[in-house]
Amino acid sequence: MAAVKDSGFEALEKLKSTEPPVFLAPSSISEVARAASQYLFTKLKPHNPKSPFDELLVDGFDAEQIWQQIDMQSQPLLSTLRHEVKRFAKNPKEIRKIGALAVEASHEGDVDEMEMDDDNDVEDDDDDELDESEGEEEEEDEEEEEEEEEESEEENEGIEDKFFKIKDLEDFLEEGEAQEYGTTDFKNKKGLSKGKNQNLSDDDDYDEEDEEDEDEEDEEFGAFAGDDNEDADKLGKARYEDFFGGKKKETKKTMRDVIEDEEAGDGNQGNEKLSTHEKELLKVQSKIEQMEKANLDPKHWTMQGEVTATKRPKNSALEVDLDFEHNARPPPVITEEVTASLEDMIKSRIIEARFDDVQRAPNLPTKSKREAKELDDSKSKKGLAEVYEEEYVQKSNPAFAPATFSDELKKEASMLFKKLCLKLDALSHFHFTPKPVIEEMSIQTNVPAIAMEEVAPVAVSDAAMLAPEEIFSGTGKIKDESELTQEERKRRRAKKKRKFKAESANHPVKKARDTNSEIPSTVAGNE
Amino acid sequence: MLRRNVRLRKEYLYRKNLEGNEREIYEKKRKIREALQEGKPIPTELRNEEAKLRQEIDLEDQNTAVPRSHIDDEYANATEKEPKILLTTSRDPSAPLTRFVKELNIVFPNASKLNRGSQVISEIIETARSHDFTDVIFVSENRGKPDGLIISHLPFGPTAYFQLLNVVTRHEIQTKKEMGKMSEQYPHLIFERFTTQACIFMGKRVMNILKHIFPVPKLDAKRIVTFSNESDYISFRNHVYDKGEGGPKSIELKEIGPRFELRLYQVKLGTLEQDEAEVEWVLRPYMNTAKKRKFLGE
Repeated sequence: MAAVKDSGFEALEKLKSTEPPVFLAPSSISEVARAASQYLFTKLKPHNPKSPFDELLVDGFDAEQIWQQIDMQSQPLLSTLRHEVKRFAKNPKEIRKIGALAVEASHEGDVDEMEMDDDNDVEDDDDDELDESEGEEEEEDEEEEEEEEEESEEENEGIEDKFFKIKDLEDFLEEGEAQEYGTTDFKNKKGLSKGKNQNLSDDDDYDEEDEEDEDEEDEEFGAFAGDDNEDADKLGKARYEDFFGGKKKETKKTMRDVIEDEEAGDGNQGNEKLSTHEKELLKVQSKIEQMEKANLDPKHWTMQGEVTATKRPKNSALEVDLDFEHNARPPPVITEEVTASLEDMIKSRIIEARFDDVQRAPNLPTKSKREAKELDDSKSKKGLAEVYEEEYVQKSNPAFAPATFSDELKKEASMLFKKLCLKLDALSHFHFTPKPVIEEMSIQTNVPAIAMEEVAPVAVSDAAMLAPEEIFSGTGKIKDESELTQEERKRRRAKKKRKFKAESANHPVKKARDTNSEIPSTVAGNE
Repeated sequence: MLRRNVRLRKEYLYRKNLEGNEREIYEKKRKIREALQEGKPIPTELRNEEAKLRQEIDLEDQNTAVPRSHIDDEYANATEKEPKILLTTSRDPSAPLTRFVKELNIVFPNASKLNRGSQVISEIIETARSHDFTDVIFVSENRGKPDGLIISHLPFGPTAYFQLLNVVTRHEIQTKKEMGKMSEQYPHLIFERFTTQACIFMGKRVMNILKHIFPVPKLDAKRIVTFSNESDYISFRNHVYDKGEGGPKSIELKEIGPRFELRLYQVKLGTLEQDEAEVEWVLRPYMNTAKKRKFLGE
């Protein structure tokens, strides 16, 4: 076994010194690798009492089989390690004893195993080593936070009872904040929380606040950090390396710095305190990275336009909310109030009689109205005899015929018009052209008064009779026939003859003469 | 008859074309009239035509002063003639739909119902034209509920497409014996909140279309038909009123007849069978601002 050990150690050393490309080419280095893995196996054996193998069997075995053996050994080892970690979490004092030793041993182990590049062993060993380093970190964190929690628990006694625990409240708040900030930040937050805590403790020294407030803040951030730890546990699968690459050495060192020096430190940002601006920047950066990643990935099926059933996963339409916002106003629901308001409006309109009916358009007159002859239905007041009488009178004596209805209307109209004209003329100061004289013919009869009295109406006055000049026209000297001289008698006879000849030339002798025309009449001019 | 229709249609289209020119001239006349009234100098662009236009302005009377549009032409003769309505349904109407159409027959005075059978729409419109109908009303349905109403004014008039909602027919109320027979008097009309008037706003236009389905009523008619607009949904109600007991100003309303909501979704400038007719207005419910816009007023 000693020989094996030595050779194994030598093999390890040899592996260490070889260049990496050599591992890729098949060569005798595999022998060395096997020897080295055997050595390691036997090294780990004491920690693993339940392992069925005493040593790693490599001769004639396949790479796969060798790996399985190693796996069988390391699995229970991992679980024991976890148990140990939990135990230390509860009893931090025990770590202090073993602390230095553990750090050394794991450190060595880490370094050795990192050199192993064999395909079979790499991942497994890395996992082991990671777990160990994680465990270490967690131990360190928990140790610190346990102290803080203990402190905080002492101070909380006044407020808490079996129903209300401030720590639970803060746990809840923490979960919310973690969701908001995103999973990538949990590591940063640990550092942040520590930074905050340190800041606060500094501030407390300066500020003169109530002790209670300070204590509460301490508690908060103690719980805060503690919650971070719990979150880290839950998000254990999302490892630091996945997001930030393999900077294991650095982070470990910085964590140790934090613990040892108790300074504010964030793993990524070096040893500075984070200002709010930087925190905002971090948030934004993480969001940007998330969005860039989402953009590069193929889109979710709901964002792909028309998607048939074959293009989306089974039953996925059941999970998605397929409603969209309707832009149209919904139709009105007819309630009692609506009907009542409508009816009120209708009633008011009826009372005002304000309707919107169709109006008949007024017709424009295209032709003038024909004079409608009005037929009088009433019984005639004149008897038939009177009607005939009037007709006869009209024929025989146009002067005596009483004016008919239409004539009277005409007269009335002309009277009215004359009055109007007079008024208008007065307006223009009688500067107008006078109306042209219409010679009107009216028959004036020179009837002796006695005859008039009999037939003519009483109203006929003497003035309407003919004037003497109108009867006789001539000079004042009138001679009787007895006073005439011979020459004058001859002159008269010659005049008579001439007259008679002129008349007979114009009018031939008429036979039957109307008695009407025999009445001597003269024409008088009227205005 | 056919040629006469074709000629009338051509005239109508020609006059529609001229409208643009007429509107310009009307604008110019208006400017000159304003300038004359206010005593301001006539704008320089009108100096050349000013004399001729002034003469025309002097000769204008009430009728010619207003610019006439084809829209006015459609209902130009409506006031002189009484409207005559033809009611039909979509094909294969269900029993509730036929009942509803029977009720509408009574609601619109001077209406007659026609069984649809298997007639084509163009045939129906042709027969309506030849029998001097002024309007044709189509009612369509969905599973027994009447859901569409198309009013087509006949010579070449506009066609309005409505969606029917919340229809309550007299049959559904089931107190027919209590209600008694429906009054068939020519009703008074009430139009509430049809205010808008301009290119895309259809308030006054729809009011015109609905108004001219009804004839001129007597002054003392007791029947009232109400169209009330509330955010683009038109409520139709049919009432009969009586003087109430509580004083001279109280009125008792009794609702008769069906009640429904109308929602206008399209107005076309042609009759129903002209598919290629110009669309005067169409509802756009998927626009982002659809919620904010109200086309019929208020």
